[in-house]
Amino acid sequence: MDTTGLRSAARIDDRSPPGVALDRWWRVCATGFCFLSFGVGGTLLSFTMFPLLRLAAGSSTNARPLIRRALRASFRFFIGMMRMVGVLTYEVRNGDRLLAPGQLIVANHPTLLDIVFLLSLIPDATCVVKRGLWRNPFLRWPVAWAGYIPNSECESLVADSAATLRNGHSLVMFPEGSRTTPGQPMALKRGAAQVALASGAPVLPVTISCVPLSLTKTNPWYRVPSRPMHYTITAHPVLAATHCDRRLRAPVAARRLTRELAGLLAPESRPSSL
Amino acid sequence: MMIDAEQTILDQVRGVLARLFEIDPARIEPSSKLYEDLDIDSLDAIDLMIELKELTGRKVRPEQFKHVRTVGDVVTAVRKLVQDEDAA
Repeated sequence: MDTTGLRSAARIDDRSPPGVALDRWWRVCATGFCFLSFGVGGTLLSFTMFPLLRLAAGSSTNARPLIRRALRASFRFFIGMMRMVGVLTYEVRNGDRLLAPGQLIVANHPTLLDIVFLLSLIPDATCVVKRGLWRNPFLRWPVAWAGYIPNSECESLVADSAATLRNGHSLVMFPEGSRTTPGQPMALKRGAAQVALASGAPVLPVTISCVPLSLTKTNPWYRVPSRPMHYTITAHPVLAATHCDRRLRAPVAARRLTRELAGLLAPESRPSSL
Repeated sequence: MMIDAEQTILDQVRGVLARLFEIDPARIEPSSKLYEDLDIDSLDAIDLMIELKELTGRKVRPEQFKHVRTVGDVVTAVRKLVQDEDAA
């Protein structure tokens, strides 16, 4: 661990009252504890609960909903733990919109915990995850058993994603591809729009905000903000099916839908940090 | 003569790119890179090949477009396509 970073994270302004410094130190330790628990807990579950569920289910098709439910419960537990130790608070707006099956859920991706939040809120959800996870000895089996989809640049990603949606499962995608680079304009890839067009699934835009912004691509976990992070997860109305205009050629339709999504997912005038 | 043929093909490719991908034709130069400059991804490339097949009336095989990087490469590939068929 980078101890200089740790020290600077907890570095205190001479004028700040001792309570503030203590609170910050507490959150550095609590955040570390939570991430450690995530790693250790995840590894343990990968060798115990997940293989047992997989065996009990018999076929891989039967196993998928069970594994997803177990993952959802684990993520819910993790978020609950982070809230309990005082690292974060959160609110979900129009959360009932997330419950309908077979939706393509597209969200902006400011922080490390976005997918944990979304998978804890959406039943029977799958997601597109980094291909690298399939080489991780601890995570490869759970992600494969849950039917998560490895990202790639080719057509198979679109075909696999569309098939999952047509089977009535919800799918989470971050059209940005990876976390937003702070201070830079949001850039969307067209993959999510292509999946929407190929599947004809309802598209549900979700915006995620974290104030003060932390756990970004450029901000290490131990550099905790001045006060606990507050997450707001907002489910917007399902997109009107204008993008399904069959008279439009696929490449044009994908470009238009991507532009529409960019407008919907762009962060409003949020304070970047405090 | 050859130059004219290339210019004609370039104009046609420009038209196809503008129509298929809503790209401003003024942005399309022979040196423009498809992926970096014109934001054409792998799925778009398939649509582009289908369109070129219709345009030329020739069979288009993916390997003929494997090394295509720029608009100029597309023009060369299309010219080869037309010539090869004529020679055969």
